Parts: sequence; structure tokens; C-alpha cells
Amino acid sequence: MTTVEGEVEATDPGDLEVVTNAIKQVGITAGATLVGVASADAFNEYVPVGHRPEDFLPGAQSVVVAASLGPTNAAWQSPNRRLMEITGYDFRENVASIVIAEHIERTHGYLAMHAPALPTSGQQPPLSMMLSAVLAGLGTRSIAANIILNPTYGIMFFAAAITTMRLTPDHQLEENVCPARSCVRMYEMEGKTPCMAVCPADEGGCIDATIEDGEITSSFFDRERCSTRAMNFGIRGHIKQVEILTGINDRDERRELLYSDDFRRNMSSIGRYKESVSQCFECMRVCPVGRYRRKLK
Amino acid sequence: MMDELDWVSIKSGILEMARKRGAEVARVGDPALLEDAEPGLRPSDLLTDVKSMIVLGGAAPRAAEWQSPRVEVMETVGTADRMVALGSSVARHIEDTYGYYALNVPTATDQDDKAFLDFKAAAIAAGAGSPSLAGPVLDPTYGFLYLTVILTTLPLPVDGPLQEAACPAPQCVEMWDEKGTTPCMAVCPIDDGGCLGGEIQEGLVIKRRYDADRCRDRVYHYWTPGYQAALERALDEPDARKRKMILYGSFFTRTMWSITYSGVSQGQCFECIRACPVGTEQRVLI
Repeated sequence: MTTVEGEVEATDPGDLEVVTNAIKQVGITAGATLVGVASADAFNEYVPVGHRPEDFLPGAQSVVVAASLGPTNAAWQSPNRRLMEITGYDFRENVASIVIAEHIERTHGYLAMHAPALPTSGQQPPLSMMLSAVLAGLGTRSIAANIILNPTYGIMFFAAAITTMRLTPDHQLEENVCPARSCVRMYEMEGKTPCMAVCPADEGGCIDATIEDGEITSSFFDRERCSTRAMNFGIRGHIKQVEILTGINDRDERRELLYSDDFRRNMSSIGRYKESVSQCFECMRVCPVGRYRRKLK
Repeated sequence: MMDELDWVSIKSGILEMARKRGAEVARVGDPALLEDAEPGLRPSDLLTDVKSMIVLGGAAPRAAEWQSPRVEVMETVGTADRMVALGSSVARHIEDTYGYYALNVPTATDQDDKAFLDFKAAAIAAGAGSPSLAGPVLDPTYGFLYLTVILTTLPLPVDGPLQEAACPAPQCVEMWDEKGTTPCMAVCPIDDGGCLGGEIQEGLVIKRRYDADRCRDRVYHYWTPGYQAALERALDEPDARKRKMILYGSFFTRTMWSITYSGVSQGQCFECIRACPVGTEQRVLI
């Protein structure tokens, strides 16, 4: 993984790596914590036609992925759990990827666009930000809801810019971030990891896995169940309430639901918290990866 | 991480950063002043060991928006979200740079539509404004501003409340003495279908009346409450064609636009602030 810190030295347009680093620095300056680059071709091995960078931008060469941290460490520590439920975050990675795309078009004259990431059909995103992050060397998939974990920061939020500009790609991480050593030890002793213990699939939770020789040999994630918890308030919650409302014949009963706190919170979620809120973050709360960074004064 | 922390320099650095990024007002309050609030609304309910409360004010509608002859401009242009982004950014800066916890208090509401923190009380405690007859906290120079509050364990020197209240302004006292009302009360009189009432004695507000429900209905006309009302009407309507007219009508569509795009604070009624003299000089341009 290549990270950029501080000022990038003078850019020689002929030096691809220097240009790539300068573009990464643009993303960092715009608010991303990390920026990585994946080759557009690298997606072909993992996703079908329709979900590849080339499908959105013909001639795509590179995908520049911006990562940010989401809620602050203080938000993680808050005794009011509902704060994390609605805090969302500031979408800095989206800002960074848009700034990167603008920079590439204006400075280098190549086509560049903010990658479409919100699901347009079922739960499938047009371009997977999780895959983009893995291919850009920013993290690997975890047992915990397949969330991509960065070895330094743990959970991060990703956005990407697709461009026709050829850039120096980063390598995928050579070692899986998950399971962490402490999780392997816990699994050996108790048959589960912290995330599996807090949300066990066979006991009403979402996560299960097997680990052998420190490697994940199988994993199970109940996405539907997880999404009803992680996104309890929001578009899906609202659709469900509208469905219920259309089935109620009694006017007073309808009013009760329409003006309930639940209904209001769904609307607030749609309007304010956007897509990424942390209405259930329990698997990440117990995940040791990057947790030491959350300990402050 | 710094070895020896100079709290005064750190404070001025943080506030300067906030100002550069758009805050008109940036001050620090003592969170202990809010600890007598009801449980759930105290700063320590959100962040254990909170030491400072940074209050930023800004992102008020621009001068041109106030001047626009089209009322829809103010009704649909939300600017408050800029303060949320700024607050998040300042909180992240504090954690990354100084290693102390910091969180931007959500401007959205908690369960039962309750605020997470009383932003007005926080602003008053920090001196980022003073209470007004119209309701919003007013900064003496800028008048009405949107607020964001950052709670942190960083022990910054406190600014404290303003010595002089911005409201009532001298013009308002004069008007009160002559007519028994102020510009804000005159434009929205509580006894005549409006939301505001009060009394002034020797230049000080001694009594205030405010119809919060009525005000909310007007300020957030097209927002969630409007959506609920329109949806209720549609569901109650037995005639399919009329139901369709409600659902595809402008009002219903505007509520959806308002909820998803315009941000929460859109000033769908801003008449008390339009009439308020505090900060009006900021709205006069060429």
C-alpha cells in the first residue's frame, strides 16, 4: 500500500509514479485519509461485465480510491449509542474522489469521473467500492460482514474516481488483515472471534466463520439480516412503513404510525444521515484491527 | 503529537482554522455550564470527561439570497449543512493533531425528536451569541448564524458568555417604547396568528412568548411534517384520481425535495430574522 504524507516533491509529467503520487496528494489534501490506485483491468477477474470500470467510462485505465475514517474516535466512545446511529460522517472520501476527478481532467486532460457506488439494482452497486479498495491495496475483506479492513485504521469508507489516465497501480495487500492475531487466539480457545461472538449467525446474529492455521477457511454473512440492523432507519425502513400504511384501513391507526417517532426517524435518516450510518456497528466495535488508534486522551 | 501543550496557542490555532474554513464566529464554552440540563442533554452524556465545547457559527444565507424577489430561493436553499461538515472536520483535526477525543454533536434529533444538546445554550455559554426575542441566538455582528458544537476532552481556555446581549437592539428598544412591539414581534405577533411575543423593560427583555409548534409548521412547511401531512391526506383519500393528484402534486414533490436535497434548515419562514436589525449591515452589498 502506498500512502502519501506531507508535500509531494516537484512533479515531472514524464514520471508516472510521481504523477500518481501527486494525484494521491490531491485526494489527501481534499480530506481523504488514504488514497490508493487500482488498474481498471484488475476488476475483470472478479466481477462480470456491467460492473467493471470500462462499463462506466470506455477506455478506463485506472481507479483512484479515496478512503476516510468515518465517525471520530469520540463518537465511538460516546455513552449515548444513538449518537453513532445517526452521526453518519462527513463523506470526505466522496469529496476527495470528486476533487481527484476534477484535477485529472483539468490538469492532465484525461477523462475522469466519480464512480457510481450506490445500489441501482437490488443490493448490487454498479461499481463495488469494497473491491476497488482491495484492488487498490487499501485493505482486505473481513469475517465481520465482509467489511474491508485496513491494517492501520480498521474500518474505512471508500469512494473512487475512474479515469482514462494510466497511473501506477498499488499492489493488493499480501497478507489478510483479518483475522487479527488476537482473534486467531480467541478462536483457538473459544471457537469464535470477537465479531462472531457479538453477532453469532446461529443465535440470531449475522456472522460465522471457520479459521484454520490462522487463515479464514469459510465465512458466512447474513446480509439481509445485517442490513435491517445496520440500516434500520432509512429508505428500507420507510418503504416498509409505507407498505404497512397502505394495508391499514383504520384512519386513526394510520395516523399513529404516520406521526410515530419511528416514521420521523426514517425520514430523518433518508434526508440527513444518507446511506452510511452506523445503526449497528457492534462487529466493528469489538474488532481489534485499528482499535488502538481509537484510544485517545 | 506535541510534548508540551500550549493551550492558548492550540485554541487560537483551532479557532483560526475554523474561521478560515467558513466560521464567522468561533468560541469556546465551558461544558459544565450545561450540566444542569435534563439527563440526556448534558455534554457528558455524549462524551465522558468532556472539557471544552467549541461553538462555531456561520453559513447564514448570503446577502443576495436575502434580497431575492423569489421567496422560493430562501425556501429551498439550505446552507446549514456547511456547518456540520466544518464541525466534523474540526473534530477530526483535534483527534488527529492533538490526540484528544472530539465529536461534532449531531444537528439531527435523538429519540422522540429531542435534540442531543441544546445548541442555543451551548452558544450562549460560549459567547457565540445571545438569546433573542425572535428565538435564534444572535451574534452582535452577524446576527443569525447556523451553529455547530464540538465537544472535546481537550482542555481549552474558555471564552464565556457575552457581556452585552445583542437583543434587543437599540432600534428595537426605540420601537418598543413608541409602539409596544419590536420588528420581529410586529411581523409575527403571537396574539394575531403569529409565533412571537414579549416585553421589554429598561432596554432588557423581561418576558418572552413563543409558539414553537406554530413556528415549526411554518419554518419546516415542506419538510418531514409536510410530507407526513400530505401522505396522510393521500392515504385517507378514497378517490383514486384525487389520491394521484395529491401524490403527484407540487406540494408532495416539494416535501420530498426538501427532505432529500435542501438540508434541514431551509428558512421556509425567516420573517422574524428578515426584520431583525442585528447583523443587517452584513446583508447590504452593491
